[in-house]
Amino acid sequence: MRNLMQQPFRTAVLVLVWGWLLFLVLTPNLLVVGASLMTRDPATFISLPLTLDAYRQLLNPLYLDVFLNSLYMAAMTTLICLLVGYPFAWALSKVGKRHQVLLIFLLVVPFWTNSLVRTYALKLILATNGLLNNGLMALGWIDEPVQLLYTEFAVIIGLVYLLLPFMILPLYSVFEDLREDLLRASHDLGAGRLATFVHVIVPLTLPGVLAGVMLVLLPAMGLFFVPDILGGSRNLLVGNVIKNQFLDARNWPFGAAASIMLTLAMALLMFAHKLSKRRIGEDGV
Amino acid sequence: MKRLVLAGVLALGLSGCSSEEPQVLNLYNWSEYMPQEVLDRFTDETGIQVVYTTYDSNEAMYARLKLLDDSAAYDLAVPSTYYVSKMSNEGLLMAVDPSKIEGFDSVDPELVNLPVDPENKYSVPYLWGTTGIAVDTADVEGDVTAWADLWDERFQGRLMMTNDMREVFHVALRVLGYSGNSTNPEEIEAAYNKLTELMLSVRTFNSDAPRMPYLEGETDVGMIWNGEAVMGREALPALEYVYPEEGTIVWLDSFVIPKNAKNPDAAHQFISFVLRPEIAALISEDIGYATPVVPARELLDEEVANDRASYPTPEDMVNAEFQTDIGDEALQVYAKYWEMLKSGQ
Repeated sequence: MRNLMQQPFRTAVLVLVWGWLLFLVLTPNLLVVGASLMTRDPATFISLPLTLDAYRQLLNPLYLDVFLNSLYMAAMTTLICLLVGYPFAWALSKVGKRHQVLLIFLLVVPFWTNSLVRTYALKLILATNGLLNNGLMALGWIDEPVQLLYTEFAVIIGLVYLLLPFMILPLYSVFEDLREDLLRASHDLGAGRLATFVHVIVPLTLPGVLAGVMLVLLPAMGLFFVPDILGGSRNLLVGNVIKNQFLDARNWPFGAAASIMLTLAMALLMFAHKLSKRRIGEDGV
Repeated sequence: MKRLVLAGVLALGLSGCSSEEPQVLNLYNWSEYMPQEVLDRFTDETGIQVVYTTYDSNEAMYARLKLLDDSAAYDLAVPSTYYVSKMSNEGLLMAVDPSKIEGFDSVDPELVNLPVDPENKYSVPYLWGTTGIAVDTADVEGDVTAWADLWDERFQGRLMMTNDMREVFHVALRVLGYSGNSTNPEEIEAAYNKLTELMLSVRTFNSDAPRMPYLEGETDVGMIWNGEAVMGREALPALEYVYPEEGTIVWLDSFVIPKNAKNPDAAHQFISFVLRPEIAALISEDIGYATPVVPARELLDEEVANDRASYPTPEDMVNAEFQTDIGDEALQVYAKYWEMLKSGQ
């Protein structure tokens, strides 16, 4: 305690961080947990008594289907992000420092525009009368417009586009830490390129991969406006169910229970992430 | 550092003269439902700044107002038909002061004293319209005259529906010969079964700007709001608005003042401004919905006044039905089937 008093700056930062976490992370989440345990009430949204009804409703096979469908879409998104992001991050860590700054800057620039606006922009590109179809037809590559908008494909494109930077940035940071001497040691000990990749590079970058997967997979299940705008509202993600329950059905306890399920899935992934880190630690790197 | 201090002083100075700040009216309205020109002219005349915020469903507006009840974020909102009664019953609204409203007597007598607000204590009609069928006649051969035609196999993958649970079920209920306001679970289930056949044809649901899928070339036929059809025709002249035989869905959007509004005087002023015949006519011409202000209809451009899409004939309105509050129990039934429909079960 005395230590804290002697370091006013450190104390201030700690208070700020803990205050932030307490009021803007813990409290809202506790409110959601609370809401999920209440009874639904048409006039006041939620009321006592406490009940587990909302969670019982989650057992409805309909929502299992929605969950599996979301998981599938999110997994496809994550996989594509990983396939594109991994080599991208690797290349990024290899270019000169000056270019690196520029490239990272370009990666972050889209965040200055609201993601909803960018999703609408994608719509203009993918539409039947859109830029992509018109361009391909002008080049003579296709004779008539291809149906891209309002398909599962469009939803995945949209999700990949919005979430790719979240995959690249953690991967970039692990590639930055990847020590050149370890790779050289691997070569000196007779490992080929493939063996080095599989046995040295992949394990060393695994924490970055998992961090990226975490940052992409869960948001992908919750970004309800992407299937609404690019998928024609025909694909329900967990995020859409939550939104429907809160707005249209006015069933707050159920909407809250569904969002807690997402949070739990997130916690599970973080746990896996931690395990993988520990294992690498034990391997003595 | 000096600059920082300067900025602080400036900020203090600015907040110090808040009493002379221009008045503000916080208007909460449907998207694309008020020409900018009207807002500008209102500001020019009264000096009141209009902060315009939009929503795309009654549900979103309702939840916002109910949750922000105490924060008085809005001075004026525009709920549809039965949401007026729902909100006034729940005590969310402030009574409109008739002495502060000019021009209320020029509102179409058929659109006042409706069951949703028997004496217009809480609401003043803004615009009314219908939900009917849009047909892109450039791509569709043959006639489309009824909701039932949407089930035609030739429209597979070319159909657009509004992203509105009540409206979509309304269509199926009417096709089956029931009321669009049915609260009977068996009828709702039958409508759901009917709609599952339609899902194969549906390309997209859209309540954001229902004309867009037609303009984008994504869909050829389906549901649309009449004003959207009128606006869409400017870019796509082949877009036709059809009054389905089973009856259109009619709605009336009304101005209401939330209970905790900060500036009810400005709200009253704005309502009076919009009820002026020349302003009402301007709005109707610009966004294609019908104005309830009777003298405004004489000022309308001939083309608009005779446009059946905006101003239907009595025959068009045969079987037309207003949406009513179906109560919470039925709402849960609808919501369940809506999710089943969307998740493809």
